[in-house]
Amino acid sequence: MPMPEEPIFRLPLDPDEEVSSGNGGSFEELRHLILAPEQEDLARLRERVENAEQRTSDLSAVLPEAIHLRRQEGGEEALGEALRPTVEEALRESVRKDPGTLADALFPVMGPAIRRSILQTLRSFFDSFNEAMDHSLSLRGVQWRIEALRTGRSFSEIILLHSLVFRVEQVFLIHKKTGLPLAHAVAPAVAMQDASLVSGMLSAIQDFVRDSFHSAKGEILQKINVGEMEVWVEDGPYAILAAVIRGIPPPDYRLRMAETLEHIHRNFASQMERFQGDTGPFARATEELSRCLEFQYKEKQSSHPRSYALVFAGVVLVLLAGWWSYRAWENHRWGQFVETLRGEPGLVVTDFERQHGRYEIRGLRDPLAADPQTLLSSAGLDQRDAAFHWAPYYAMDDAILEKRASALLRPPSGVNLKVTDGMLRPEGEASTVWAAEVRDRAPLLPGIRGVDLSQLTDTDQAEFNRLQSLVQTAIIRFPLSSATPTPEDLETLRRLTPQIKSLFEKAQLLRKNVEVDIVGHSDSSGEESTNIPLSQSRADRVLYQLTRDGVARVALRSRGVASAEPLRKEENEEARQYNRSVTFRISAVAPLHGSSAGATPATP
Amino acid sequence: MVLPQAQLLQRPSPAMLLKKVCMLGSFAVGKTSLVRRYVGGIFSDTYLTTVGVKIDNKIVQARENEVKVVLWDLAGDDEFQKMRWTYLRGAFGYLLVADGTRAATLAKAEALEQEMRQELGAKPFVLLINKSDRRSEWEMEPAWQEGLVARGWDIFHTSAKTGEGVEKAFSKLTAKMLL
Ligand SMILES: Nc1nc2c(ncn2[C@@H]2O[C@H](COP(=O)(O)OP(=O)(O)OP(=O)(O)O)[C@@H](O)[C@H]2O)c(=O)[nH]1
Ligand SMILES: [Mg+2]
Repeated sequence: MPMPEEPIFRLPLDPDEEVSSGNGGSFEELRHLILAPEQEDLARLRERVENAEQRTSDLSAVLPEAIHLRRQEGGEEALGEALRPTVEEALRESVRKDPGTLADALFPVMGPAIRRSILQTLRSFFDSFNEAMDHSLSLRGVQWRIEALRTGRSFSEIILLHSLVFRVEQVFLIHKKTGLPLAHAVAPAVAMQDASLVSGMLSAIQDFVRDSFHSAKGEILQKINVGEMEVWVEDGPYAILAAVIRGIPPPDYRLRMAETLEHIHRNFASQMERFQGDTGPFARATEELSRCLEFQYKEKQSSHPRSYALVFAGVVLVLLAGWWSYRAWENHRWGQFVETLRGEPGLVVTDFERQHGRYEIRGLRDPLAADPQTLLSSAGLDQRDAAFHWAPYYAMDDAILEKRASALLRPPSGVNLKVTDGMLRPEGEASTVWAAEVRDRAPLLPGIRGVDLSQLTDTDQAEFNRLQSLVQTAIIRFPLSSATPTPEDLETLRRLTPQIKSLFEKAQLLRKNVEVDIVGHSDSSGEESTNIPLSQSRADRVLYQLTRDGVARVALRSRGVASAEPLRKEENEEARQYNRSVTFRISAVAPLHGSSAGATPATP
Repeated sequence: MVLPQAQLLQRPSPAMLLKKVCMLGSFAVGKTSLVRRYVGGIFSDTYLTTVGVKIDNKIVQARENEVKVVLWDLAGDDEFQKMRWTYLRGAFGYLLVADGTRAATLAKAEALEQEMRQELGAKPFVLLINKSDRRSEWEMEPAWQEGLVARGWDIFHTSAKTGEGVEKAFSKLTAKMLL
């Protein structure tokens, strides 16, 4: 192997470099021999570095691992920060080009999120409803109502205040040097104070404390108590963060404040340093402050919703029971009413049911039966609640039969119609005519099996009897040996005439054949031979008188009996006077038709 | 359950130009009275000395801007109540108040201006010589005022009682701060 004249380490790395050497050929060869592999590597590397395409492909092979490694080493913040603008731009671009793509991609996430949000809203609605229920019902609720009246706040606000564990009502970002508010966030429904006054006073207090107690630099009052409120203050180089809190916040809220203040300082340090009173640049910080407006309510005991469910169920039960017993009572009343109907003669209830809130009552009704509507009213029930459906029929109840008989027979005032087991039994006094009518017509009435007239007194017969005895006791006296009545008794005779006439009329009504014997008497003085004609003359005289006054001749007979049938024993003149007279005998001959007061079988 | 209330947020007042302004001067010169006259339009004869600081504000229309002037009414300076310089930090301007009926308060005002310049640097200010309604009792030498005007001071004769010069003095200071 030939030795090179020049040191071998003087190697031009550039393969294009001109190498002038006397012994060029063999040197080249040597060089090639020794360095060829490296040179090829070198060329390949150069190619790699300079070729953009190649570089891209190389990087793509390791990029995922590189990002992964970076994350593992805890540098994700920087990475995120670096990628953020690109990613944001990419998203914006994607939305601009076609919002559908991103929407589709987000769909599986958005759906549940929206549902959860709705659920949350509903739940909080019911929570607050329960809460309101609770507080409205309790003694505490009453106290709070009074408080609401007293303070002029709404009741719900009072509930809110009392149910709160804590609520951050306002957050101030206060410029430390000037004490002016840079930003301010207020919770809903909180009375907003003038931020500049609060900020001013807060920083004045801080100044005062710092001055008065010569506290070490940077130390400030971290907490101020104002009644039921607390003001938590967090100190920063340019600004302080003050939170006005009702109730007691968790200790880690302090951390939250510190983080917020730090973050604000990161973003707004220079603006705060140069602050000349223009709050414009700090509008963005307001958003950050509002995230500090946290709150927490007292956890509700799980028994509450259940107890309301119970109260509700109880109320429903009571209402149901009330309704049920009302219905039962009403059913009972209607049931009783229907029983009354059933007991009522001439009414037959075949069907009774409740339909569409009305009681439907069906059955049969005799036209003479009591009016169901009237019965309904007197039972104190509402007519509108009932519907009657009656079919007409003839009832056979004795009570109805009585009514039916009364309607047809129209009994005179002294008569009471009684029906027992279909047997009609009139009681009292009635004319023969009416009695005859009853006898004739009652058997035609539906349901009347027979007529019993034994309890009915015939007024025509009674009158007949009275007239008969009246006539038979009458005495028409005559003067001695005269056939003309004494003037006094002539008058008696005249009065007797119409009575005799009506006697005949009654007899006719009673279907009796009546005859009146006019008997002439004389006293025992004188001859019988003269007395007989005299007594006959006397009888004839009366007969003449009667017929002349209109009494039917056919029914009158006269005879003279002289002294054979003396009225009195002739012991004195007065007794003899009575024996010079005319008397009447009435005899009922066989009736025209067989008839008597008594049970007459009727043909139905 | 800890929830942020952001979604139901109340909107606080929009961004606005804020200026902290201090009321300086001896005790009983009428600082509090002037603020009450300016902000509330009222006056009272009773004297209640201010302890520490009382803060008030008023929105002022100055040129195109709405400026909210936050007034720090400080306790008057005397041997019992030492002025608290920390309260003055960050003031954009101040009102020096003197009582025309008490010569000592005028001198005090002049001295205060010097102290302020040393502590806070040059700041816009105006001088109010108060109680102009009792001008007959004033102990002010006209020459003294002329000297100050010559040095560029803006001086107003005011009365918290009648309201004279009050609005003008505050307006002037606001304008100076906006320069
Ligand atoms: N006549 C008159 N009295 C005034 C006027 N301004 C203030 N006063 C009276 O002066 C007294 C002091 O007024 P303040 O406004 O309390 O004075 P101040 O400067 O705030 O006092 P400190 O707070 O103690 O420093 C009160 O009795 C006021 O009524 C004024 O313009 N005219
Ligand atoms: Mg005062």
